[in-house]
Amino acid sequence: MMTYKGGYRPDLVDLNAGRISREIFVNEEIYREELERLFARAWLFVGHESQIPNPGDFFVSGMGEESVILCRDRADKVHVFLNSCRHRGMKVCRYDEGNTPVFTCPYHGWSYGTDGKLVGVPYFREAYREKLDKSQWGLVEVAQLCLYKGTVWASWDPAAPPFFEYLGDFLRYLDFSLDGWDGSEGGTEILGGIQKWLIPCNWKFPAENFCGDSYHNISHRSVDLVGIGPSGSGRRDMQERLMARRLQISFYDRGHQTGIYLLPKDQPMPASYQHSPIVAEYFSHCEEERRKRRGEWARVIGSPGEIFPNTALHPRQPRTIAVWHPRGAHQTEVWRWYLVDSAAPAEVKNFLRDYYIRYSGPAGMTEQDDMENWNYAHAASRGTIARRYPYSYEQGLGFETENYEWQGLHIPGTVMDITEAKSSEHNLRNLYRRWAEFMEAESWDELATWRVARAAE
Amino acid sequence: MSEPVNIRLLGPGTRVALIDGATAEVVSNPLDGVWVFARYLSSPDDPERVGSEEMIFAQDIIEIQGGA
Repeated sequence: MMTYKGGYRPDLVDLNAGRISREIFVNEEIYREELERLFARAWLFVGHESQIPNPGDFFVSGMGEESVILCRDRADKVHVFLNSCRHRGMKVCRYDEGNTPVFTCPYHGWSYGTDGKLVGVPYFREAYREKLDKSQWGLVEVAQLCLYKGTVWASWDPAAPPFFEYLGDFLRYLDFSLDGWDGSEGGTEILGGIQKWLIPCNWKFPAENFCGDSYHNISHRSVDLVGIGPSGSGRRDMQERLMARRLQISFYDRGHQTGIYLLPKDQPMPASYQHSPIVAEYFSHCEEERRKRRGEWARVIGSPGEIFPNTALHPRQPRTIAVWHPRGAHQTEVWRWYLVDSAAPAEVKNFLRDYYIRYSGPAGMTEQDDMENWNYAHAASRGTIARRYPYSYEQGLGFETENYEWQGLHIPGTVMDITEAKSSEHNLRNLYRRWAEFMEAESWDELATWRVARAAE
Repeated sequence: MSEPVNIRLLGPGTRVALIDGATAEVVSNPLDGVWVFARYLSSPDDPERVGSEEMIFAQDIIEIQGGA
């Protein structure tokens, strides 16, 4: 393992020059720092409430490298616990999901209620003489938890800003993934199970890809030629490309970013899902409703994005949330959730299920292209010679726009209009800007810069 | 020494003998192989336990006495 002696900025992440060292992807020392400085402090996506509808339901998820239990207790309250016995650390839950009255450690038998309280200690009377204070030995619970439109988010850091403050104006972009297609608030549910698989690459390769790397579209050329899309051509319905402004949006102070398509004023959304009359009719109806509910904001069509650090949003086709779980510097475990409108007819859900798995996941044709690139890019960056040479992130440097507005609609965030340019690394730079800030900051006083700006106003 | 009891097979209503001479009736079983929830029917060492519901550790259960 190479010991890195330099700083993060500008030595490793030089955003003025648009250069980023390969060390941040392959150095194991830096990776260990990430676990402490990013994953123990940031807000992370844990799961969806529809996975635990009843008291006693649980779903085993992950935060950083660590296993956590998302569960609903007997009083209907949602919790996220570290999946580790307080006595000797054994996992207290080794199932992926289920329903239980207790989580019991198989090693020595300590047992915890679904509210995390220690309720069973073998030989409590005899061996402990009833002296053990059970109230001090419950499961470790996350410091902060937020339920939003069905999704469950958590942070280990009690000093982290509340979730909505952490998101800032990015919240409206998260809504693209969580609201019904008709614009109804939080009208989505999880479709089927969660896909989980390993990729031999650093977690930041997929993270930056989903920030809005449109440059790699050439990788998916073969999928476009096959025509897996829901209207029979390409891999998605993308007719809006012909008329919309194509934007990349970054929130510099938060580290979140996304792409969007911004339709012209009074321009209807192009037809989609033409391979099935029922599905096409459903989305056509939803689009009309969405226009009524959202007004001008309905001109905005979601595109891939990323909530810092490792939650990816794919809000339209297919509609998914992915988490890039770090599994060492050289491996990522991907967990992908698939979303559909709760109110959609069964025919629509079935159609989407087929399309989603054609596109995404370990067997999805588009995702396979990505995995191959990340796999070999990572492997080829680990060598002694290779890691001396930085990557280039120079696309569009200096062409960012504040207060972007087009045909009467103001877009929050720092915007790069790539309609003519086709591509930019604006959003990717934002990911690493925030990454470097997290790696250097000792406290949230340094990270929550918006608080300073607000106080100064 | 008697054979160990497979507590995963104990359904609600099963009466069991415990190592300290007490007897209890299973109320519910989380099927973790470690604990059952049971109500004390007798407890020579601690009569106040009778009627109370507690988690009973598998290794404290020495015999099935009947019931469900």
